Amino acid sequence: MDRHPARWWQLLAKWAAVPLALGGVTLASRAAGANEITAGLLLLVAVLGLATWGGWTVGAVASVAATLCLNFFFLHPTGTFTIEAPSNWVALGCFLAASTLVSRLVARARQQAAEALARQRELEVLYELSFDLFTSPLGKATARTLRALGTESGALFLAGSEPVILVGAPEVDGTFVDAARNGSRILEDGDTSYIPLRIGGGIGDETGGVLLAAEPTAPSAVLEPAVRLLALAVERERLLREAAHLEGVRESDALKTALLRAVSHDLRTPLTSMRLEIESLERRLAGRSEELASLRGLSRQQERLTRRIDNLLALARLEAGVARPHPEPTPAGSLFRAARESLALVLEGRDVQVRIQPGCPDLWADPSVSLEVLVNLLENAARAAPPGQPLELAAESVAGHVRIEVRDRGPGLPAGGEGLSEGLGLRIARSLAEADGGSIELLDRPGGGTIARLDLPAAPELEEILAG
Amino acid sequence: MTRPKPLILVIDDDADIRRSLSRELALAGYDTLTAADGVEGRELFEHHRPDLVVTDVAMPRADGFAVISAVRRTDRTPVLVLSVRGEEEDKVRALDLGADDYVTKPFSLRELLARVRTQLRRTLTAAPEILRFPDLVIDRGRRSVMQGESEVRLTPTELAILELLASHAGRPVTLRQIIGTVWKGAPATTADTVRVHVGSLRRKLEPDPANPRYIGTEPWVGYRFLAETVE
Repeated sequence: MDRHPARWWQLLAKWAAVPLALGGVTLASRAAGANEITAGLLLLVAVLGLATWGGWTVGAVASVAATLCLNFFFLHPTGTFTIEAPSNWVALGCFLAASTLVSRLVARARQQAAEALARQRELEVLYELSFDLFTSPLGKATARTLRALGTESGALFLAGSEPVILVGAPEVDGTFVDAARNGSRILEDGDTSYIPLRIGGGIGDETGGVLLAAEPTAPSAVLEPAVRLLALAVERERLLREAAHLEGVRESDALKTALLRAVSHDLRTPLTSMRLEIESLERRLAGRSEELASLRGLSRQQERLTRRIDNLLALARLEAGVARPHPEPTPAGSLFRAARESLALVLEGRDVQVRIQPGCPDLWADPSVSLEVLVNLLENAARAAPPGQPLELAAESVAGHVRIEVRDRGPGLPAGGEGLSEGLGLRIARSLAEADGGSIELLDRPGGGTIARLDLPAAPELEEILAG
Repeated sequence: MTRPKPLILVIDDDADIRRSLSRELALAGYDTLTAADGVEGRELFEHHRPDLVVTDVAMPRADGFAVISAVRRTDRTPVLVLSVRGEEEDKVRALDLGADDYVTKPFSLRELLARVRTQLRRTLTAAPEILRFPDLVIDRGRRSVMQGESEVRLTPTELAILELLASHAGRPVTLRQIIGTVWKGAPATTADTVRVHVGSLRRKLEPDPANPRYIGTEPWVGYRFLAETVE
């Protein structure tokens, strides 16, 4: 696409050069008394010059004119177009062929050089543009792109809620913007071009933008890559924004983790110290039953406080998102054993009957979270049931779940529903169970007492785990 | 190094815990040294070469991980970590660095003393050819597992896992250790592969699923063989 048609005076100069150059060479050769060979060479040089300057058509016309000049002024008999010697026919023919061929070659070389230069200029424009686009904010990048397209005025419309970037004071027709956004072709409205922009192409989630350019003059070889570069600049800006956001999220996560660690350390250190002193006193007070009894009470309270703090920290960690449950196949029996060990003091002297349905699948749960939950349920049951009454722990398979029940013979659920008197332990257990993919339900036990029911997902068949 | 009593180095930034621990360990028949942070702990370790190190994780100046690394650079002295509930990653990291075991704060003294005994016993004797537990005999030479009079039929992988766990009875064995020993670190082996085999090993081995006696789960970490060896 040549956007600069030649003016009339350029054409005139081109064609006037032919007689001027050939006439000049002829006159000079005559004046110097040159023979036909010298004159022929000089005319050939003139034709070359004309072809280089004026292109192929000028070269062709000059070739024919130079042949006629050679014949008329230098070949015997001079002053006529008559040719006597047959060898002169050959000479003239060769001259015409040589000058035509050479002017054609020269013209083509010139044209290729001109094209190469144009490509180079386009590349330079695009290179500078790409450099500017990736180092400047979007507003500046848009202005820079428009300048590469040969205009000082335009606008960039991005998807959705992103603001419009205006450069200069272009006239905007909204219907064209929408049409260009939904299409893939460049739309022209008078001198104004609406150029669709594909942003995020290839990585999913493509959105349409539109670049409006008032009176663009750049050839399409520049226009298309320039617009693609602008789309990349938009994408880069978006990614930068997202990265900044993610960085913020990560920092706040790191802060939460550090805070929870510090709290955890500060709360557990005194508890550890208390535990060690209690055990030490127990040893030293051996045989003094009254003091030992009060120490037992102290010990139980210390353990209870420890469990509450464990619960709260586990819950805080899950809710802060700094820890996610790691489910793994966990046999109900292992869980029961661990829960009883955690509650050794609370369960001291109490019969706990464990029933696991034969063939009951493993639980699919985070062993530490499910232990936290079960310990709470078991502790509640132990406190509700009168001393000496046995507790029951049961596990069975129910429709893709493993149902764990903690059964006591305490007073049962208070009238008016379970929610009212729910202690902190149970509330935390509920949240933890949900985080671990399970649920908790409290039921009246036939014959008196309460059933705390914990449903957790059953572990997939081992082969399924292996198959991923 | 032969001493009349084993020497235990206790590293914790809390003065009360240091005092209680060193008093109780002394009463249990050990000599003790105490340090308030990792830097002091490393100095005492270099100077006295204790038989066992008990270290907290979170401490000023140099933490427990730095202590473990420093100890492991020189020898196999057992290291017991005082970890914190919920910080399971810390346990895994400590064990990966070469710690031998951990107790979770607030731990009971009984539990700590049991772990200390297990670790000190380990340094004195190599695991024997025949491992005897209540109702379970593992003959590593003959590659047989007996429960009472009857033989338990195990696959070679199950047997290899059982041997590894049982020869570390009372101590945690990480999933990574199991993969490294049983599968020789084959790259395709994942934690889930290990769990599959442990699952089937449990079903064959535990006589009463309501009351497992042998293989305990250490959340995030791996497994611990629960039974104690009998002579």
